Amino acid sequence: MTWQNYQLDSTILKITELLTLWRIEKGIIEIGKNSLAISIKLDDQLKGYLFHGKGKLLLDTIVETEKGAIGRPIEKEISEPFLMLGEAEEIQRHLTTASKEELTEMGYENEQGFMAKAEDLFDQFFGKERIHKNQCCDNDHGFVFAFPNKAGKLDILIAKGSKLIYKAINTVFISNRDKVVLKTPNEVILSGNRKSFVIRK
Amino acid sequence: MKLSEDIREEVKKLREEIAKLKEQLTSVTDREQRRSRGIYIDIGNRVQDYMGDVMESVAEGIHGELERSIFVGPEGVRIIRERGDKFRGEEEERVSLSKVAEIMSALGHEHRLRILKELMGGGRYINELQDKLSEITASTLSSHLKVLEEAGLVVQEKVRGRYLITMPGRTAYKMATRITKFLERGSQE
Repeated sequence: MTWQNYQLDSTILKITELLTLWRIEKGIIEIGKNSLAISIKLDDQLKGYLFHGKGKLLLDTIVETEKGAIGRPIEKEISEPFLMLGEAEEIQRHLTTASKEELTEMGYENEQGFMAKAEDLFDQFFGKERIHKNQCCDNDHGFVFAFPNKAGKLDILIAKGSKLIYKAINTVFISNRDKVVLKTPNEVILSGNRKSFVIRK
Repeated sequence: MKLSEDIREEVKKLREEIAKLKEQLTSVTDREQRRSRGIYIDIGNRVQDYMGDVMESVAEGIHGELERSIFVGPEGVRIIRERGDKFRGEEEERVSLSKVAEIMSALGHEHRLRILKELMGGGRYINELQDKLSEITASTLSSHLKVLEEAGLVVQEKVRGRYLITMPGRTAYKMATRITKFLERGSQE
């Protein structure tokens, strides 16, 4: 279970209380109590987690222009396994080993069932061809989230401080303080320095 | 209507002008007849009569068009710019009347208009709106905001919770106030 230097740990954990994994002015990701987790390590250093449980993604993909706000917020219930790379030390304190009953509650017959699903997602994220660690996610201060979507691909959220990139099936949202780019199926909006540019179909 | 009287006066003046031109034309053609060897046909008064009818018809047409497209109110004249009837018809077909009713219904409450007016100044938290619109109870304010959100005139941020007026909301508010001003002026006529 090694993907270049990134590794999935073999211990299945559970979350002891509702956790906010990431939060900025425009977005928040939470994961509920009793959700399952597996550590992701790089050269034995904790780099992130793979979670499965009830979670929530809120993202204000809204652009404020002089002529009014454009876009709608994203409010997504998370129920499929998802992956997080980033500051994981704090999360570690809210985890404990998961029991077989807790695995069953999440719909898994045994540990192998969960591990197989986790490996699938991990493989999908890093790709079949192993990548070098410096090509991805080797960042001490940022976050990368990957959520499986309906199209069988991954919605990706990359965040560092107030900088944010979110790419989903029909949406691309790039934000850095008041500078924003939003692409929806119907329009592309560029906004910054109190000026906005809107292209509509 | 003053406009109608003005146009009639203009037609009268035009007729007088045509009569003068007729006299001048007669004297010129007489001179030309004497000078040239060409054929001279006296068409008499029929051309002048015909021209007079055409001018009157044009004037009536202009008058009708002006009445439809110009609104004369106490503060002056407003020109209403309209596109062709064909396009207008297509546009009306494209707009669902139930959607129109929904938007108009959302706008059809003084409290909701006041909320929109407040949001024109920028995003507001619910408590900021409550402070500004203190005569509206908290539950009523939430209910109004929900109506405005459902109509797409307002959007609420999910993380910070601020309410923002949307681009359609801003346009709808401006149009509502303009329509009201327009109708008020019309009723004062």
